[in-house]
Amino acid sequence: MIHTSKYPPHIVVVRPGVERLTAINSKAFKEEVIALIEGGASQLVIDFKEVSFLDSSGLGALTGVLKRIGHRGDLVVCGLNNDVTQMFKICRMDRVFKSYSDVDAAVQAMSESL
Amino acid sequence: MEMPLDIIVAEDNLVQRTYLARMIAHLGHTALVAEDGIEALKLVQTSGAQILITDFDMPKMNGLELTHAVRGLNLDHYVHIIMLTGSGQSETSAEALDTGVDDFLTKDNDPSRLKARIHVASRLVHHAREQQNQHRILKEINSRIQEDLKAAADAQRQLLPAIHRDIGGIHVSSAFVPSAMVSGDMFGCFALPQNKLGLYAVDVSGHGIHASLLSVAIGHLITPEFFCNAACGKDGKPDPAGLVSNLNQRFSAADNDDYFTMFCAIIDTDTGHMDFCQAGYPSPTYVDATGQATLVGEGGFPVGMFSHFSYENDVFAFEEGGLLVLCSDAAGEAENEHGVPFGRGMLCSVIEQNHQSDTDALPDIIVQDLTEWRGGRALEDDLTVVALKRINS
Repeated sequence: MIHTSKYPPHIVVVRPGVERLTAINSKAFKEEVIALIEGGASQLVIDFKEVSFLDSSGLGALTGVLKRIGHRGDLVVCGLNNDVTQMFKICRMDRVFKSYSDVDAAVQAMSESL
Repeated sequence: MEMPLDIIVAEDNLVQRTYLARMIAHLGHTALVAEDGIEALKLVQTSGAQILITDFDMPKMNGLELTHAVRGLNLDHYVHIIMLTGSGQSETSAEALDTGVDDFLTKDNDPSRLKARIHVASRLVHHAREQQNQHRILKEINSRIQEDLKAAADAQRQLLPAIHRDIGGIHVSSAFVPSAMVSGDMFGCFALPQNKLGLYAVDVSGHGIHASLLSVAIGHLITPEFFCNAACGKDGKPDPAGLVSNLNQRFSAADNDDYFTMFCAIIDTDTGHMDFCQAGYPSPTYVDATGQATLVGEGGFPVGMFSHFSYENDVFAFEEGGLLVLCSDAAGEAENEHGVPFGRGMLCSVIEQNHQSDTDALPDIIVQDLTEWRGGRALEDDLTVVALKRINS
């Protein structure tokens, strides 16, 4: 389901490929992103531009991926709409995930920190 | 060696009938003979035989009528029908197939043809029997799982009583709608020493069996005694964040993605002073005595996600005549048929408009509005509504 694109130096941008990341598909999403990490990816940007809704299971999958990356790399998000931003705020996820307006801003910030 | 089968032979000609019966016996099966269609139909209904060899021309009920009648029976097994044909009867074949005949056998008294036809039929009968057996096993397993789920749901319901009670001048009322048989919501409300009221609501991420196991564990853990001990600071001051931190330590050890959001509060029923900790649970709606609605709380980390998360206490003044309503996120997320969510804003308006309603009726009013919004379709997530009204002294 996920789509990926690579940016130099070693940044992988992941688009979940679904409009709603929920209990129905979050397990598959997590497994696919973890396969990327096991394949060597460690600098990940999750692009939520095309995701309109994220439920508690979707957030669980996202933190599950973050736990898997651990100290080996970084995971940031971008393109959150108002509803998802609000959900992140209520759960203080804005303190857990760095969030950027779009892919370009996320990739630039990430490459500068490497 | 094939398993012996019962085979019905419907044939009005005595010589032909006897010959077929002998051949069938010779092949190791049992022949059940009928002189006409009516007799054969009775045998189909009573014997449980799964192969029928029938002549076309018979008195009372011919082979086609018999086939039609057999296909109209509500049997729990399939009957494989072989029609006997004379030479040059190809024009009846299409009609016979349409009526439900499976195979044909010419009356040339060739034992090897009969043997082959019965062999094919018995293979299909065995296959059908095997499938029926698998189906029965699956049905049994499924009904056992359903029974277990029902027992789990009953156990969970006992932990989630519909609350309608007064605790020191605060009237508490609740409604709960699980999205499936079992749910991931849990809540509780207790009278604590020194005229305090303890309240918590939990919403486990995801739903179904997985979430319900965790919610039941939380429900059993948070007894009034546990609440009292964990939510009181060393100085005796209310410390709901202490209770939430305690739970976070317990539940973030597991190596999985499970977590829950929580709202935990201690209200002084004499003064209306409320100490609370909001751990990712949606902000409750508060309507003051003048009918003005606001959202309570700035948010906070969920519980069980990361052990290093820290939690803060916040305070709120619950005035006399004020109304506080907690709703799990199923309320805001409930979508109508066009995919439009109900939204926290609309939820806030519904609560504001109904703030003078009977507190006992209010949770059901909210459930009713959400049900209408969903157009009667079941909610996708578990819904909890808890309303608290501070009665004027």
